[in-house]
Amino acid sequence: MGAPGQEKLWDKEEKEHKKYDDIRIFTDEQLKNYTDDELKNFKVKHDISMIEQLESGPWPSFVSDIKREALHRHKLGQDNLMIPADICDDLLGIVELSYKEGETHWKHGGIVGVLGYGGGIVGRYNDQQAQFPNIAHFHTIRVNQPSAKFYTTDWLRGFCDIAEYRGSGLTNLHGSTGDLVILGSFSDQLEPIFFDLTHDLGVDIGGSGGNLRTPSDCIGKARCEFACYDTMDLCYEMTMEFQDELHRPAFPYKFKFKFDGCPNGCTASIARSDMAYIGTWKDDIRINQDAVQEYVAGKIPVDGGAFAGRDWGKFDIQSEIIDLCPTKCMKWDGKKLSINNAECNRCMHCIDAMPEALRVGKDQGLSILFGAKAPILEGAQMGCLTIPFMYVNKPYDSQKNLVRKVFDWWIEEGKNRERIGETIQRVSLKTFCEVLGIPPMPQMVKEPRSNPYVFFKESEVPGGWDRDINAYRTRHPR
Amino acid sequence: MGRDEDIRQAIIDYASKGAKSKFYFKDMLTGVKKTIPDAGASEVKKVASAMVSEEVMELLSTGSSTMYGLKGRGISVEKSGDAGG
Repeated sequence: MGAPGQEKLWDKEEKEHKKYDDIRIFTDEQLKNYTDDELKNFKVKHDISMIEQLESGPWPSFVSDIKREALHRHKLGQDNLMIPADICDDLLGIVELSYKEGETHWKHGGIVGVLGYGGGIVGRYNDQQAQFPNIAHFHTIRVNQPSAKFYTTDWLRGFCDIAEYRGSGLTNLHGSTGDLVILGSFSDQLEPIFFDLTHDLGVDIGGSGGNLRTPSDCIGKARCEFACYDTMDLCYEMTMEFQDELHRPAFPYKFKFKFDGCPNGCTASIARSDMAYIGTWKDDIRINQDAVQEYVAGKIPVDGGAFAGRDWGKFDIQSEIIDLCPTKCMKWDGKKLSINNAECNRCMHCIDAMPEALRVGKDQGLSILFGAKAPILEGAQMGCLTIPFMYVNKPYDSQKNLVRKVFDWWIEEGKNRERIGETIQRVSLKTFCEVLGIPPMPQMVKEPRSNPYVFFKESEVPGGWDRDINAYRTRHPR
Repeated sequence: MGRDEDIRQAIIDYASKGAKSKFYFKDMLTGVKKTIPDAGASEVKKVASAMVSEEVMELLSTGSSTMYGLKGRGISVEKSGDAGG
């Protein structure tokens, strides 16, 4: 079984794969231990009348979910749990208090973790421990998700058992970086959780703090025909290569890798990662003119039939594809579709709309963008295309060597709590290009004349120039 | 003393004498470089990580950033839950 050439790998995983019955903590009866009637009549031990209003309305409510877990834990009983059975009651109680007072009672951060690791655990405490002793600790454990978030149900059930037994039973699948998150554990349970995760489930904890954060990737070649490189493999290899950076903090601030197989960017690496890897191609978009004709004739549904629920009228290739091309690089003469590939900026609209007629090129690799981040010190930033094309070949030495260069530079140059995008902004993209040893591109100049990123040095201009800065200053004082 | 021992001593000196009991890696690196100017980030990190494993140093994480400190100096594990983390 498995992909050609990977049969042995699959067999190995099958043999080492633990079944849920090997690692389960609770019985089926314990997992389904309350009725709908019991839930309807259930009251948590605090008055939560304000937050119960959040249960009204058509949307799902976190209050309803936590109440279910509270009832479930009451019925499991303290003898079957390592964390207070009433943890969910106190959690709802403190949320109610915060709604009443309009301020939070959570404190976050602290000296908690597993031995030898400097990330993956985020300490949480409350400042009302006398009133809510069962949430005196409410630590978060980030668990490194498998590439592209492929699981077996056995694995997920094992994970949920650990979260229930040694945590509050509440989880977050997935945190915004991609980790699976176990919510609400106490300090004395952190090492046992780490043991269970590594021994029973074969996963490591993820990143937090001034570390490399848990790398994440799109589904890539596992299921997607647009993937230009094997995102899952590259994500796994980079995770393994940079374990020290993931677990032992030395960065000025967080650093995120994300891997998108094509410019559709399902992982949104361009907006969410300091170093985004986006699959692309060098040659021409492949065109099947016969299939184009079939789309035009309405024989193949556009967008894979995704908009078939409503009558949008007959497909019009001119208005729906050609006119929507952002660089106007496409032409349709009624019989033949042509593309000026040099002008294509990889928006992917035409390929997404007519996947049977258009395919990504064959000469595939990836682009690397640096500097995306959410608003912290300054506004949100998108990644800046720094390396337009790089081939992706195992064992990925080109990618790994580039990362080492970036880390070495940023550790020395970055200020505390400064993302690499901010460092690049501060020292200039030109300086960063020099660090990487790559030439600047015209596209890097954001606003010519008013805000150039790239300045020429005298040595770079034929003939140099003759300019006396002191004479200049006599005319233009600071 | 070997190179690692020199760095270890420089870390201890920085961590025990500074005004702050918890500090960023970058500040610690700057402190070590005052004694050992050619100390690289990776070798300081290697020694500091070993000191964390030996429980000579400890890490304080806010979730978004991480600080180093000498174990027993300043905020402690037990107190971290009561003193604002």
